[in-house]
This record gives sequence, structure tokens and C-alpha cells, in this order.
Amino acid sequence: MSTSTAPIEAHEISNNLVEFIARQTKKTVTAEVDLFGTGLVSSLFAMQLVAYVESTFGVAVQGPDLKLANFRSVAAITELVLRLREGNGG
Amino acid sequence: MADRYAAAAELVAEAVGSDADGWDLAGRLPDDVLRRLAAHGVLCPGVSAEFGGLGFTAAELGEFTAYVGSRCSSLRSLMTSQGMVAWAVRRFGEQHQQATYLRRLTSGTLAAVAFSEPRAGSDLAAMTTRITLTGDRVEVSGSKVWVTGAAYADLLLVFGQHADGAAAVLVPADAPGVRVTRVADPMGCRAAGHADVELDGVTLAAADGVLLAAGLPLDWLITSVLTHGRLSVAWGCVGILRACLAAATTHAQAREQFGKPLAEHQLVARHLAELLVAEQASTRMCEHASRCWDNGSPQQVTAAVAAKHFAATQAARGAAAAVQVLASAGARDGHVVARAYRDAKLMEIIEGSSEISQLLLARHARELWT
Repeated sequence: MSTSTAPIEAHEISNNLVEFIARQTKKTVTAEVDLFGTGLVSSLFAMQLVAYVESTFGVAVQGPDLKLANFRSVAAITELVLRLREGNGG
Repeated sequence: MADRYAAAAELVAEAVGSDADGWDLAGRLPDDVLRRLAAHGVLCPGVSAEFGGLGFTAAELGEFTAYVGSRCSSLRSLMTSQGMVAWAVRRFGEQHQQATYLRRLTSGTLAAVAFSEPRAGSDLAAMTTRITLTGDRVEVSGSKVWVTGAAYADLLLVFGQHADGAAAVLVPADAPGVRVTRVADPMGCRAAGHADVELDGVTLAAADGVLLAAGLPLDWLITSVLTHGRLSVAWGCVGILRACLAAATTHAQAREQFGKPLAEHQLVARHLAELLVAEQASTRMCEHASRCWDNGSPQQVTAAVAAKHFAATQAARGAAAAVQVLASAGARDGHVVARAYRDAKLMEIIEGSSEISQLLLARHARELWT
């Protein structure tokens, strides 16, 4: 997995994720909506989302970072990506 | 890389030789053969070099899995299990867990994956195995069935309910409270060491890094590991089709009836043509799914389900056709096409039955096309 250190703003990550979810599920979500509690997306989609986040934002989500709380909403994923990218030195 | 691939393939060729028929009849693989392959990292060649693995890409792993599958589906099944455990450790393990367990898995340790339970087969969410963390102890209790490779395994990756979600735990097969009982006379992949596993208050030290993905939803955990397994099974089915093609074409060319080779009888020729197309189409589906995996594409999950469903269905049909072409020449247990016929049928059941795969794919179709 390549890691990118080019700066990226929170709103860019957030918008990118909303677009991806819309493309994949035909549903429009807000940054705060609970993606999994409402049955909005399937479990197959959960793993697709993890793979998308890793390949798009150049991060590796492993071990303790790979938990539901970090993927519950677009806002939570955005926070995770920013944190992991900081760890990459970006 | 090419060297590593060729060396791994040669190890398998030497290890299997012409023994796969005998292993099928005996229902066992020799321990020393398995140990030797495991010690060279050949059973999970997708593990990267930093952990002592062969570092195959998904595409290389796929072709290699097909090769092993063409020689012996029991051995390929054990590869699928070992690969799933390695992937679970890679995906869900912390760094120290990856360092410890991936090294073991590439240097001789044999591992198996325990999903199914007496009342939780396709409906894995119904599993009742409990994994409890108390202080620095992990306790595991439950019953698992049809665990591929458990009869040989040193390490069992056991899935269960944990706190608000699920977890997986790496249980040494010789830990007190573990009982492994071979499934008597499995219909297919007879030498793959299928066994039922009882875990009765098995207690392990959490400090040993045995607990993976604590608290993740069960379906997330399972989907990720099964995706790896489905890709492996799909390629294994390509191997079954290749073995059937080799046997059917060779026989149909050599055997003469009514004054000409069987292959020149049109109804037999049609079997050969359909087998060829089945092998090619299955390979393309698998290549696509492996590419998705290598690219980290979100499509990898559904591509693996589609490839597994398609290749297993084609392998079952293709193996039946190969038995038909060989007729009495292949109609005894142990023969490559007889094995293919029984092994392929199990591939329509394992790692998500055809019907479960169809449900997943139907949902995906609705998401994609409406």
C-alpha cells in the first residue's frame, strides 16, 4: 500500500466519501448519519469501504484502528484518515 | 519472483508426485509432506517477505492455487485455510501479533479456521461460541463443525461472539479443553482433515497476542476473511477444471470406438469444448477478482463472490462431463476425475453455498443497476 503525504483537507475527504457512498449505494448521506446502525449499507459494503479508504487516501487501517466506531459515519472515517495520515508524516 | 514461484511449484510437484489418488483413498495427507510444505511457506505464499513469506501477489497466488488444485484439492483446501488465517492476522492483528504469527505460519505451523457450528452454517450470525476477556485471560467456549484442516492443525482460528460484537482467537490445538474429532468419510477433499472442534472453557493468556479484532461486528470480520477464502476456492476450482481438461482430452484422443478416437464423436467433442470454455471463463473471472484484490479495489468483495460462485458451478459441471468422457476408465475412487467430481461438489457448498452467493450477488445487482 502506497502512502501519500500530499496535504488534504477534512472537507475534501468528507466530500469524496459521500460521493463514493452515493456511487456505490445510490444513497445520499450526510457526514453525521450512522452508516451501519440503520441498515443503510450491507456488511459486504463495509469491507469495500475499508478497501476504498485505504487505496484512496494512502493509509493502512489495521489492528485496533479497524473498528466499527471509526467507520460509523463519514465524519468518523474522515477523522481516522486525518489521524493515520498524520502518522505517515503528512 | 519468478524464481520463487517456480521453486514453490516444484516443491508441490515433488511433494504430490503421483500420490494424490492414494491420499484420497486413505483420507489422509502424510504429516511429513504437510510439514515440509508449511516450513517453506508454500501453504500461504501470499504472506510478504518481511514476515518470512514468499510475497506472491494475488494474481500469482491465484495461479499457484490453481496449480495445487489441479494436483490435489485436499492440499489446496489446506492452503485456503492457512491463507485465511494468515490474512486474518495481517488484516486484524496488531504489529506484534503479525510479527509472531505470520512468521510461524510461514515456517511450519499448520492452521485452520473455525467458522461453522451445529446451528450456524450459512447463518453464521447465529454462532454461539463465546470469547470472553477477563483481566489478562481469554476464555473460549463453543462447538465448531467441519473445520477444514483441523485434524492436522497446530493453531485454530476460532470465531465467536465477544462483548458487543465479535472476535477471533488463535487457539493452540493442544490447549487444555480443546477436543478435535475427525469427520468420518467426507464426500470430497477427503484428505483435507475436516474435523469437529469442541472448546470447553479453553483459557489462554491475552499477553500471548491470541485475540484478534475484538469488538468488530461479526459480519465485517467474517466477510473479510471469507473474501480471501472465496478467491482461493475459486482458483482451486480453476485447477479442478484444468485437471479435468487434461484427463478428458488425453483419454478422448487415445481411446478409439467405432473405428475412430472418442474426440471425433461429436457428442464427446462437445464435452471437450464446454470444458475448455468453462476453464477459460472461470480463469478470467478469477483474474479479475485477483486484480481487484491487488489494486485494493472496493469491488474485490463482490468480485470474489462472483468468481467463487461461477468457478464452483463450472467445476461441478465440468467434472461431471469429464467422468462422462472417461466413463469406466475414470469411474473409481481416487481417479483424478472421480476426485474432481466429488471435490467440485463440495466447492458449491463451502465458503458460502451457491445459494448464499446468489443472495449476495442479487443484492449487489440491485445496488448497482437500479
